[in-house]
Amino acid sequence: MANLTIDNVKKSYGKTEILKGINIAIEAGEFLILVGPSGCGKSTLMNSIAGLEDVTEGRILIADKDVTYTSPKDRDIAMVFQSYALYPNMTVAQNISFGLEMRKVPKEERDVEIQRVAELLQISHLLDRKPAQLSGGQRQRVAMGRALARRPQLYLFDEPLSNLDAKLRVEMRTEIKKLHKKLGTTIVYVTHDQIEAMTLADRIAVMKDGEVQQLGTPQEIYDNPANLFVAGFMGSPAMNFIPSKIVEQNGVPMLELSANETTALPFPNPDSLKAHVGETVLLGLRPEMITEPQPHKEGQAFVVTTGIEVEVTEPMGADTMILTRINDAEINCRSNPAYPAKPGDIINMMFDTSKAVVFDAKSGRRLDV
Amino acid sequence: MKNNVVGRKTSGVDKALRIALYATLILVAGFYLMPLVVMLITSMKDAEEVRNGTLLSLPSYIHFDSWEKAWSSACTGSSCHGISPYFMNSFKIVIPAVAISTILGAINGYVISLWRFRGSNLFFAALLLGCFIPFQVVLLPMARTLGWLGIASSTTGLVFVHVVYGVAFTTLFFRNFYQSIPGELIKAARLDGAGFFTIFYRIILPVSTPIIVVTVIWQFTQIWNDFLFGVAFSGFESQPVTVALNNLVNTSFGGKEYNVDMAAAVIAALPTLIVYVFAGKYFVRGLTAGAVKG
Repeated sequence: MANLTIDNVKKSYGKTEILKGINIAIEAGEFLILVGPSGCGKSTLMNSIAGLEDVTEGRILIADKDVTYTSPKDRDIAMVFQSYALYPNMTVAQNISFGLEMRKVPKEERDVEIQRVAELLQISHLLDRKPAQLSGGQRQRVAMGRALARRPQLYLFDEPLSNLDAKLRVEMRTEIKKLHKKLGTTIVYVTHDQIEAMTLADRIAVMKDGEVQQLGTPQEIYDNPANLFVAGFMGSPAMNFIPSKIVEQNGVPMLELSANETTALPFPNPDSLKAHVGETVLLGLRPEMITEPQPHKEGQAFVVTTGIEVEVTEPMGADTMILTRINDAEINCRSNPAYPAKPGDIINMMFDTSKAVVFDAKSGRRLDV
Repeated sequence: MKNNVVGRKTSGVDKALRIALYATLILVAGFYLMPLVVMLITSMKDAEEVRNGTLLSLPSYIHFDSWEKAWSSACTGSSCHGISPYFMNSFKIVIPAVAISTILGAINGYVISLWRFRGSNLFFAALLLGCFIPFQVVLLPMARTLGWLGIASSTTGLVFVHVVYGVAFTTLFFRNFYQSIPGELIKAARLDGAGFFTIFYRIILPVSTPIIVVTVIWQFTQIWNDFLFGVAFSGFESQPVTVALNNLVNTSFGGKEYNVDMAAAVIAALPTLIVYVFAGKYFVRGLTAGAVKG
């Protein structure tokens, strides 16, 4: 196991900057997820770590050793690809041992390693098959087996679950998490699926346009997003952004809310908004913070109950999503399925702003820090 | 819809159309095969029968005298050893030329598809142009080049020429085939520690069988049937069979021996025919072969 340091890495093709100075450092055994929309540079960064692409500037260190100009095979890393990239002409066993063979590991040791990996991933019965004879999930396992066989210092996963169907994806996700707990390996994992990022990561790096927008634990990123982009990208359904005007009541800045009636929401950190009184900002409120009135929360400092008009309801089983319009923006609320709500109804909902965040409407910058 | 197709009764009109269709197909096939049939039956007649019979009349009894003569004693120009020495020449040219141009094409295609470099597309476009150059244009410069290399009028020289002008096509074949191989396969192999040639030999070549078959058939046919380069660049000793066939047909003492000419032509065409009969289905399959699913 090794730590990984990415030190001000830049990459450009001609005039196009793909990576604009990436700084990430992770500890040995940590599970880092790079997440972002397509074209954000996450795969380029991954390829740079692997050595498959040269960086224009900056350094990459694995186990405190500068590998910026080391060839891929000498970096002691293994990679799992989205397409699995299994060698079609080789059996599963040969696929797993190819890397060892290239490193001139004797045949007996290779056989032992194949058995170990196959048992770990429960693919012992597939060892003689060719990749074409395997299902998607089985191929995925073999691809992981190939990576595990070499016991590298660092594992790279490039969207490994994207080609699986939804059910299998969830299963394999858990499996990868278990494997990481069991082996304590250092993993860098690229995905565009924010649920995968939340569930797997020790830390997440949210990327956009070749820059790291925020690096933090999943909970930090969920609760305390650095900017509008991160707030909107992480979480499903996405965070609500309510355009609202900052008004002063008794010298305290409040956020104006016009649903069925006009009211003002208190804010946990009002001092930070003093300079913005009179401006219209974006109030970020996750759906689960707008719920049916909950008696135990009644009377708490940052809780306001007000009437809204139901536009659409979406029962999801555990919760029912209620769509409404507030300040002319479409808003998602998460309520108990037992709470009566029909389209057209005016119902009371409880707004809990204790975890609300505020962004500048133009730049998307966080204002309440 | 489905029921209609399954339950449909064959009506009289359908039957008539079907008969017309088969009749047309048989007619066209017969028309296409006619020259071959004429060649075969003429080659089995003796000189007397050729002179007196009609073109399509069957030989009264089959004999292979003219085949023997064409093979070993017919005169091509001033020498009278049949076409057998030239038949061997053709093999001496075709085998190395096919092998070398196929190997080069495979490596070129591998690089252009899977190891892209700055300008690789331009390089490919330039190479593609080579497929469209009329060979008459290059005859004189190539003659100078062969002379300069000291391999003029030899089978080696002809191998060289065929390799040079075959590489454009073989590269095109392999490049298009390798386009369907995911680049991640190469990345995975590089991370596993394999180098350029190891990846080619261990991972790419084993999945290339269909396109190798296509390329070999194509090159074999092209080079075996070539006349232009053969007549332009061969010496007296290094003529390929196509040139010898031409000489044989043009050399006559007294009457024209059509039966010998036909026999020689069939012999000269035999190798490509055999290749097609045995590998033709791979040819079609290889041309339509799509993605290599991993």
